Amino acid sequence: MSSWIDYTVNGIIIGNIYALLAVGLALIFGVSRLINFAHGSVYVVGAYAGFLAVTHLGTPLPVTIALVVVVGALLGLVIERFGLRPLQGYAHIAPLLATIGISFVLDQLVQLFFTPDPRALPSSLLETRFQIGSGTIGALDLVIAAIGLASAGLLYTFLRYTRLGWAVRATAQDRDAAQQMGVDVDAVNRTVFAIASGLGAVSGLLVGMYYNYIDPAMSFQATLKGVVAQVVGGVGNVPGAIAGSLLLGLVESYGIALFGTSYRNLFAFVLLVAVLVWRPNGLFASKRQTPPEPMTGTFIAPSRPIQIPGKVLLAAAAVAALVPLVLPHPYVLQTLTNSWLYALLGLSLTLIAGTVGLVSLGHAALLAIGGYSSALLALNFGVPVGIAILSAGLIAALLGTVLVFPSFRLRGHYLSIATLAIGEIVSLVILNWEWLTRGPIGVSGIPSLSLFGIELDTDRSVYWFTLVLVIVLAALQLRLLGSHLGRVLRAVRDDDVAARSYGIRLDRYKALAFAFGSFAAGVSGGVTSHIYSYINHETFNAQLSILALTIVILGGMGNVTGAIVGSVLLVGLPEVFRVAAEYRVLIYGLVLLLLVRFRPQGLLGTV
Amino acid sequence: MTELLSLENINTFYGPVQVHFDLSLTVGRGHIVCLLGGNASGKSTTMKIILGLVKPQSGIVRFDGQPATGLPTPQIVRRGVGSVPEARRLFGDMSVRENLLMGAFVRKDQKAIAEDLDRVLGLFPKLAERLAQRAGTLSGGEQQMVAMARALMGRPKLICMDEPTMGLSPLWVDRVLDLIAAINKEGVTVFMVEQNASLALEIAHHAYVLQTGRIVLQGPASQLRADPRIRDAYLGGQEAA
Ligand SMILES: Nc1ncnc2c1ncn2[C@@H]1O[C@H](COP(=O)(O)OP(=O)(O)OP(=O)(O)O)[C@@H](O)[C@H]1O
Ligand SMILES: [Mg+2]
Repeated sequence: MSSWIDYTVNGIIIGNIYALLAVGLALIFGVSRLINFAHGSVYVVGAYAGFLAVTHLGTPLPVTIALVVVVGALLGLVIERFGLRPLQGYAHIAPLLATIGISFVLDQLVQLFFTPDPRALPSSLLETRFQIGSGTIGALDLVIAAIGLASAGLLYTFLRYTRLGWAVRATAQDRDAAQQMGVDVDAVNRTVFAIASGLGAVSGLLVGMYYNYIDPAMSFQATLKGVVAQVVGGVGNVPGAIAGSLLLGLVESYGIALFGTSYRNLFAFVLLVAVLVWRPNGLFASKRQTPPEPMTGTFIAPSRPIQIPGKVLLAAAAVAALVPLVLPHPYVLQTLTNSWLYALLGLSLTLIAGTVGLVSLGHAALLAIGGYSSALLALNFGVPVGIAILSAGLIAALLGTVLVFPSFRLRGHYLSIATLAIGEIVSLVILNWEWLTRGPIGVSGIPSLSLFGIELDTDRSVYWFTLVLVIVLAALQLRLLGSHLGRVLRAVRDDDVAARSYGIRLDRYKALAFAFGSFAAGVSGGVTSHIYSYINHETFNAQLSILALTIVILGGMGNVTGAIVGSVLLVGLPEVFRVAAEYRVLIYGLVLLLLVRFRPQGLLGTV
Repeated sequence: MTELLSLENINTFYGPVQVHFDLSLTVGRGHIVCLLGGNASGKSTTMKIILGLVKPQSGIVRFDGQPATGLPTPQIVRRGVGSVPEARRLFGDMSVRENLLMGAFVRKDQKAIAEDLDRVLGLFPKLAERLAQRAGTLSGGEQQMVAMARALMGRPKLICMDEPTMGLSPLWVDRVLDLIAAINKEGVTVFMVEQNASLALEIAHHAYVLQTGRIVLQGPASQLRADPRIRDAYLGGQEAA
């Protein structure tokens, strides 16, 4: 049995590792107002660079660290070059989306080179442990603590006593004013990305040595942990990020001691949402000030949507309906069915992110809620599948809206982060709520699709069923957009200050749109569960959320037809060309990155 | 008189909206030149053009005999343009001392910078007592002093000031205007944007009146002071303020 001292030591060490990540995120946010979602990828690359150095070159620890810093810094420069610099003057969410794209690409490249399998990252340090009181502290713990302290000291010296450090601080406080003092803010950005990424890479190396374990999937969790720590400490606040990291490390370590490992991340994300909603300046902000918020503005590139005549739409629907008769190939039908399911998700997100401007990064959670609801209703209570799916839509609408409601007051980046965290929370609750969800085992034996007692057991019938769902929901959504309500929703998006001054109750309208959108996502999740017959907490993962967003941006934010087209292109096409699964995520990442940069209005234009 | 700065036929757009229409003006070496105009007439944008923060769609900016159109801001600052931005824009979390030294960011001559710090503090004795204080905690008038002192620390040939008297009490307004005149006496050319015409014209040599992006009136300050059109042109009821 470990003692409390052990848990404390462990918490502080993990806190140090988080601090190396969070400080970088805070620096980057400080000078560029960007939450860098590629930061976790730098951490993974750092871990793997260390792995290569240790296992292939046999480098001693100091050399390994130096190498990892250099690799990280170079990667940081690349991220700045492609994720931030070309997007100046774009909506502020654009660089955030670009860094998500970059992180997909980087993570996938790491996976392609090193396989997704975990590796051991042996630390060359002796397994010596020193007794302190009733606990122990290891040599590696001391090294990590020393690196944490040394980095903090170096950073402090840099910011306080060097010219460039002054430039960084001045830029963080007022970018325009700094420029007017002659500061080259682009150079400042580059410096900060290099430093932040150097530190982030070392963090990855240390974590790998600490657990003697690395795998490419660490990336996303690392980004999230860094974001949590820096939000808790106050966005853009460097000392706050360190304090937030240590706090997070301790909370997690004690949490594990009290409740077990699988709850660990739950604490982190609940903490994140709570701080975002109730203390948006972070826990340590002394005075009531509004949080830095230049990142308002939605990702709606002004454009005239391409008008598709009703006749063409009808014809397209008719062609789609005829596919099973003309091309009764199971593979084609399954692929297109899959596209229709994603189209439902796209419809949902294009309404929420496009029409109302709430860029949700946790949309897969709605699928998960829908999927589990429908599966469990049918399985545990014998509810007919058709009714179970309908209920799943309603449950997703209700639960989704209730969960996100407190975050409606947040704007821009902050809302996106909150939805991301809520998505993770939902997935972790599913993992831990075993008596209901069967936890990690997942739900199997889900009854297959049927309607009014008729089994939809052919590929053809499933195809038609999902197609009809898409057409009905798309038609409803088009009517909604054309109505007075639709105009109000767009007004909320375009200028919520103005909309508020007309007396529009923003939260209610956001909730209404969110509920409508969640219904479609819940239905999609429900149908999916009956088609798969097995789901678990990872079926609807965060990657899916980002895929959904890419679909929606590809089609054109807010564009109903675009969501369907985007889904066929992104989900259907790679399938038709039988692109190997490893390359798909790479493609999604690249598409997202290129769209944000070159065609933010999407293929069919924003509405 | 030689000219230090000139704008020729500047046309500026924010997206589809045109803010300047063939704007031309010149600032003579050693002068205080004032740009007057009502809200949203494009005054601050003129300053941003000079500083390279906004690029004009057409037109030429010349500074100190060299074309300066489209140069990045840091280069323009290096050439000798200092700025006192609208609403002062201090680095609020940095100390007064650090703010002043940020003003000398483009300079490398440490010894001369230290001397200039003393010289500037001589001009703004109030600030000497506040060197260690966080700039964000100063009063509005004190912040204005820091902003002006900060601009001086770069040893500029030209200082651009955007509404330096905005939001100050009458006492502080007088103080600030006196200081601008004093700075000018030391040989620094001043280009000043103001809404408060009667006050600005007391210290200015020359003035331009901007109305929705066009210069509608210009001349020596002595002449404009007496010109009834100054009131009619744009001041309207604002004169009271
Ligand atoms: N970054 C910007 N993007 C779009 N429009 C802008 C921007 N900055 C200013 N404008 C618009 O350009 C016009 C001129 O603005 P400017 O700030 O130059 O006016 P001003 O004369 O300084 O006004 P004030 O006296 O209120 O400071 C205004 O209508 C303003 O709304
Ligand atoms: Mg102005």
